[in-house]
Parts: sequence; structure tokens; C-alpha cells
Amino acid sequence: MTQRLSNDEVIDRALSALRSAGARTAEVFLREAQSGTVETKDGEIEVVIARGERGLGVRVLDGERMGFAHSSDLAAAGIEACVEQSRRMSRITEPDADLRIASRALDVADLAIYHAGLERRALADRGAIALAVEKAARGADPRITHFRKTSYLDAEVTTIIATTTGVRASYRETTCGAMTSPVATSNGERQIGYHGEGARRLEDLDPAAIGARAAKRATDKLGAKPFATQKLPVVLDPWMAQSLLGAIAPLFSADNVLKGRSLFANKVGSKVANERVTIVDDARRKGGLRSAPFDGEGTPTTTRTLVDKGVLRGYLTNMKTANKMSTSSSGNARRGSYASPSRIGPSNFYIQAGVDDPKTMVARLDRALAVTSLLNLHTIDPVSGEFSLGATGTFLEKGAPVHPVQGITIAGNLTDLLSSVVSVGTDLVFGPSGLGSPTLLISELSIGGT
Amino acid sequence: MSARDAERALRTALSRGGDFAELFWERHETLQLVLDDGRIEDAITGVDQGAGIRVTNGERTTYANGNVTDVDDIMSLAGRAAGSVSDGGELHEAARLAPDELERTHPVAIDPRSVPVERKVALLKKANEVARAFDPRVIQATVSYAESCQDVLVSNSDGTHRTDLRVRVNFAVNVVAKRGEVLESGFEAVRGTRGFEMLGEDVIVEAATTAAHRAVQNVGAEPAPAGTYTVVLSSEAGGTLIHESVGHGLEADLNLKGLSVYSGRIGEKVASELITVVDDGRDPGQRGTAAMDDEGTPTQRTVLIEKGVLRTYLSDRRHSEKLGIKRSGNARRESFRYLPICRMTNTMIERGESDPDQILSSVKDGVFVKKMGGGQVDVVSGNFAFEITECFRIRDGKLAEPLRGATLVGQGPKLMSEIDMVGWDLGYSTGTCGKDGQGAPVADAQPTLRIPKVVVGGKLK
Repeated sequence: MTQRLSNDEVIDRALSALRSAGARTAEVFLREAQSGTVETKDGEIEVVIARGERGLGVRVLDGERMGFAHSSDLAAAGIEACVEQSRRMSRITEPDADLRIASRALDVADLAIYHAGLERRALADRGAIALAVEKAARGADPRITHFRKTSYLDAEVTTIIATTTGVRASYRETTCGAMTSPVATSNGERQIGYHGEGARRLEDLDPAAIGARAAKRATDKLGAKPFATQKLPVVLDPWMAQSLLGAIAPLFSADNVLKGRSLFANKVGSKVANERVTIVDDARRKGGLRSAPFDGEGTPTTTRTLVDKGVLRGYLTNMKTANKMSTSSSGNARRGSYASPSRIGPSNFYIQAGVDDPKTMVARLDRALAVTSLLNLHTIDPVSGEFSLGATGTFLEKGAPVHPVQGITIAGNLTDLLSSVVSVGTDLVFGPSGLGSPTLLISELSIGGT
Repeated sequence: MSARDAERALRTALSRGGDFAELFWERHETLQLVLDDGRIEDAITGVDQGAGIRVTNGERTTYANGNVTDVDDIMSLAGRAAGSVSDGGELHEAARLAPDELERTHPVAIDPRSVPVERKVALLKKANEVARAFDPRVIQATVSYAESCQDVLVSNSDGTHRTDLRVRVNFAVNVVAKRGEVLESGFEAVRGTRGFEMLGEDVIVEAATTAAHRAVQNVGAEPAPAGTYTVVLSSEAGGTLIHESVGHGLEADLNLKGLSVYSGRIGEKVASELITVVDDGRDPGQRGTAAMDDEGTPTQRTVLIEKGVLRTYLSDRRHSEKLGIKRSGNARRESFRYLPICRMTNTMIERGESDPDQILSSVKDGVFVKKMGGGQVDVVSGNFAFEITECFRIRDGKLAEPLRGATLVGQGPKLMSEIDMVGWDLGYSTGTCGKDGQGAPVADAQPTLRIPKVVVGGKLK
């Protein structure tokens, strides 16, 4: 058997290969992950998956040109080949004077993102969580008849970054999550619901609440009717609001701003949202699902208010775009995997809690629509900001549900959406992808229907 | 990896019980070049090599997977998979492996790995020039080239031992146009399971022109009006409709669980007699094409709906057995990191008999969809939505003003029963389909279609 190099040995070999090749500014990034998944069906464990992953990404900055290569072959020859490929790639790209490799030593803060022992749990313990979610969904309502899927997943991940210019740091993190998609049946009609949550430690995951919420998502849609084309006030619960907030995030990317692809270009200091809206990106949130001490290019992460009471305060940056804007990086070079170079993106990105009671904010409205699911979120074009989505919802009169609706669309522009937020709930909730929002009331959206 | 080593891994996998074991191994080499903001910004290359060992024991499946560099790594995965098999019961022997070669419908004339990178860079620059020169309102262009060479091996305890090499090329152009404060983007891609030969300069120029045209047209277009309209879907629009409204609902795993509007309906009329739906994993050079699926079953042409009658589902090993239908070669996985699931390859509505021009001229007032984007379906209710990236108002049987920002929503079986004209033409589109967190390259196709009444999402003044 070939000798398996430790993570630190892999880093050392890569750095030394870079030095021997004469690469003076380069970065090595390693990620190792161990994860376990259990899926259940009708009270039994159906699928068990154990996954191991380890790989290396190497970025070489040759003068002003950046190359990138990755490899899962971490034997000595594989590491050397990866370094060589990265150097080759750097000769293909074109110069950009603002590119940098990190050179400031990192102080790794404890953000409560690692909790030992998660990964060593027995299969039966993992299965028990998924089974508890399924049971809670089934027990929540007699109309829950079957499931598309119920699963529990946990992972332990190690990230190491090192540069030829003196940076070397690492952190470990754990995540766990559970989700279910129950189906409700009534009078021949079937509707599916979905809910999933994530946490850094098991104690923060509530299987009963996940199951019950998913069941409610399904049963709330039963009895759905077509709906007339009209304009109405729209209520977004925290999870629906998170989905749309995720689509808004690219508008804050300095890369998009500099390249003319963001509606927020030249808007710093201007009003871009209703004064009730404050948007924060906080990579330092204790236990946050997107918290990390440093970003994908070795810059310390930060906490930033991007929209303060409706006014745009700044953008999400990495080293390159920060240089171009004569500022310092906000630490938002996010890296999905060792195999992808970093891209500017949010961390724990959320709308701050407001002052309105989520239950009573709609009571004063004669008619409104509460959105219960959205289809086609992935097709929103952040460049134009235009969105037109398939939806289901509940039609409300004076805040009371009248009947569910399906087969409708909701449409608007992301910038108008932010300006039209007229109530912000007190109930801020973070979702499994680090996005957070309270309940939002939108003054008016176009609804397409019959 | 030799057949002997694979046999050894399968024996280990079954050493604690289980009735079926499978080894999936892959080596995936990729190259991606991105030209953005006028310069080559990204040059990325990499190798991802790994394996997964699956053991099924009654109703339970265990799957151990990870990056591997040698046979010892694979043996350790096999041991790990066996270790998770509890109450193994009777021990089963793995059959002797019987290696065979499959016929390929995805010939590669020019392996992209053999083409100098300068030629690829030249194509990116050409597309960038063409897009930027198209119109002064074009303010930005992103052009990307990606090649993907996936070597796959599947061995299982029934004796299957097969390999496949899937060479895929992807060239995409994204253009941003600006008018006043309004921004719009236009996209076009050329993708297939083929070699570098598919990227001739004429093809590149056409893709760049189309993307630029779309961005410029949309930036000057009126918002689409929300409401119910008669819609003509051009064959040029591609096949997102069939993929979302019908295709996902015909996946055998969802049907076994009773989750689809098509569950238990084989032999029943589920669409207009004008509609025949086919999935063809052997369609030469198309993006969803391969010699075998990711369980080693040869791909094939499967008639799913014949003149409106449901014939079968898209299946893998397990679900074809459970549902008592023919295995269709539709078990696909994004990589060794995942278990295969039932999904589409290249899916299409077959040609009909109507003249596409007459379909358009038959509509007095409606919406003409020239290009569809991505979509999504809720298979349980059958409700689907897809994005329209280029469309026009139809007035008196002719194309009128362009519209922007529209979505089309409907319910699969209802919409398929209402289609009342099917053209004799056929147009393809390509994409990456997402299901259960896994992406898969697919193509879709359809002729020009007329839908008498359907909801078009847009804005109200």
C-alpha cells in the first residue's frame, strides 16, 4: 500500500514543489471531509451512505497572472503534477495587477463551529434522528400518508490554507442536518411539503419541529384552487423570504458591480430598500452555518452591515476587487470545494429582525397572499433583477386563511421587492444555507393566474 | 482496474451478507477557461478520481465512497461498505465477471485534451469580439469553455464489468445589455457528448450573436403581462417543457413511492393523441448521451408515452424489478459520491404533422415562446414552472412586440391533454438537470406546439 500522507505533509510537499518550481507567490488549499447520511422510509432505515473526500487546490500567481489546478490524487507524484498544472494554467490567463496571494498571518478565532464526536456516532443513533423526524411528520396530521424522502446527514470538515508568502492556518467544523418531504392526501388530492434544518451540533437540531413544520407545509396546500390574475400584498414567512434573499445576494458582489452586472453599482449611500430593511453579512456569528475564521483566499472574515435602514453601505469583496475599489477585502472569497477557485459570496447573510408581530401584520389587510412554496428560484437573473416564479400560497382575508391557491406566478424586480417591504417581523430565523430572515410583508406583487 | 481486482472488491463487499454488490469507479479530468470583462480570467484544470461500493441487503442499501488512488483504497471502501451491512443473513457469492464492450454512439473525432489551449483561447476571444460588436448597448460578455472527460467502470456481483468514456464539451456565452437603468442578460450554449470537432468557428459566432441579440432584445422589451394566454412554443425554444411537465413525473423511483401524478397509470391515456414522448440515451452526440448508464446498463431509446398512452417509466435496476418493467438504462449519478437515481438522458416530444408557420398564423392573440430557460416541477401535484428567456406577443397570427421576464406555469397531465397542434419540426436544448442534489447533463427536444390556454407569469401595470 502506498503511504498515505497526512494533511500537513500534503501541504508541505505542495509548498516545497512550488518553491522548487520557482513559484514565488502561490497558495495551497486542502479540504478533507468525512460525512454520513441515513435515509428512512416507513419507519425503517433504507439507505446508509459513508463518504470520505480529500483534495488539494493550488493557485499560482505568476507575475499578474493566476492559474488554478486541483487534484484528489494526494500521493507525492499527484501533488507535483497538480503544482505543475497550476503553473501551466497561469500562463494561459491574462494579467490583472490587482490579483494577490495572502501574506498576512492569520489569527484563527473560535466561532463555535466545531463540536467533537459528531462524526463518530453510531449508525443507529443517526438513523434514530431521521426516524424521529419521520414520526413527527406522520404524527402531526392524519392526512400525512407517505414521504418522498427523510434524511439525516452529518459531516466533519478540515480546511487548511498555506501560501508561499507566509500564511498557514486551518480550522475544523462540524455540521448536521435533517430534512423531510411528506405527502398529504385528502379526497384524492395530494400535496408535498418540505422542511429541512441544519446546525453545528446535534443538541441544536429539533427533529420533532422539523417533521411538524414539513407536515404543515403539505397540509396547508390541500384544497388548493386556481386564482385570478391580480395585484395583492404578499406575506413571505422566514423560509420563503430566505429564498428570495439568496437571489438578492449577487447584487452585493463587488465583482458584479465592477463588471456592470449589478443594479447596485454606484448606489453606495443611496436608498436601495425600505427604511425598515437592514441587511447584514456576518461570517463571525457564533455557531453560524456559514461562519469561518478566514475565507477561501486566507483573508480574515468580517461582520458587515450592507444595507442600513434602507441605505446601501458597501459590497462583498475579495482581495482583487477590494484593491480595485481601494479598500480592504471583506473576506467574502467563498470556496465551495478544494476543486473550485473562490468566488465572491455571502456568509451568514440576513435581514435584521424588525418590530412587527408576524401574526398581526396582515390582520389589518383586507386581502393578501401568503406564499407557501416557490418553483424555479434558480432561474432568477440577478443581472436584470427580474423574477417570475411558480408559486403556491394561502389567500388571506383580514389575516385569516380563506383557501390555498396553486398554479400561480408571482413576479417583480428584486430591487422593487426590497423597496416594497412594509413590515418586518420580530421572528428572525436562519435556514440551512446560512440565510436568515424574519417574516416580511410586501406591499404589492403581480400574481398571474386564471 | 482489472476484472480480478474488481472481483476481489465485490467479494469483500459481500463478506458480511447482502444480496447484491457493485463497484463504481471514475476518473474525471476537467478543463475550464473563462473570458470575462475582456480578458481570460480563469484557467482551471483538475483530476477527480474516486469510487463507491454499494451493497444491498433486502430493502437496505449501504454505500461507501471516497477519493481513491489505488486498489488498496478500493478494498478499504469495500470493507467499509461490508461493515455497515447488519443482519446480513445468507451469504451470496459474487458471479465471475464477464467483461464486454458496448457500442458507442458518442464518437469523438478530436479529443479535446489533444487540442492546444491557444485554439480554445482563440475561440473565447472570437466569441467575445462578436458579442461586443453586436450592439452599443452590450456592456459585458462572459464566455466560457469547458471540457469534461469521464472514464467510468462498473462491476457488479451479477457479473457485469463494463467501461465507458464520456467526453463532453461545453461552450457558453452570457451577454449583458444596458438601456438607461435597465439591465438584461442573454445566454446561449453549445454542448454535447462529443469532441472538439463540434466547436467550429461558425458555431461559436452564431452562439455569441444569439446571446447578444437576446440581451439587446430583452433590454428593450416590455414586461410580459400576467394572465392566461394561448401559447405557441417554437421548436427553437428547446424542450424544457417536456422535461418538467412530463419527464420527471415518469421517473420510476418517484412512481414506486406513489409520488407522481403518473403513478399506476401505465396503459392509460395521459396526454393528447398527438403526443409521443421518447427518452433516448443513444441519440448521437447529444448532451445526455452515453454508452451505458451508471449501473452498467446499456442506454437505449425508450418510448414513454405513445400517442397519448403511458407505456413505461425511466428505470434503474431496482425499480424496474419492483415495478415489473423493462430496465431502461436511466440510472445516473453525478459522480462516485452519489448513489445512482432514475433520471432522464435526452428527452423529446416526437415530430407531429402540422406546419409550424400555420401553427403561428392560427393564433389571433397570444404569446410566442422562442426560447425557454430552466424549470422546476412538483411531481406530486404535477405543477411545473419554466422560465421564458425570449418571447413575443402574437397579434393576428404574426409576431408582434418582444416581451421580457416571463414564466409559464401549468399542470403536466392537464397541459399535455390540451396541446392541440404539433409541428413537423424539432429543436433541441441542453442543460444540467438537478434532482436530489445531483446534477446530470441532459438534452431535451420538441416540435412547435400550440397550447390553447395556459398561465403566463409576468407583471401587471
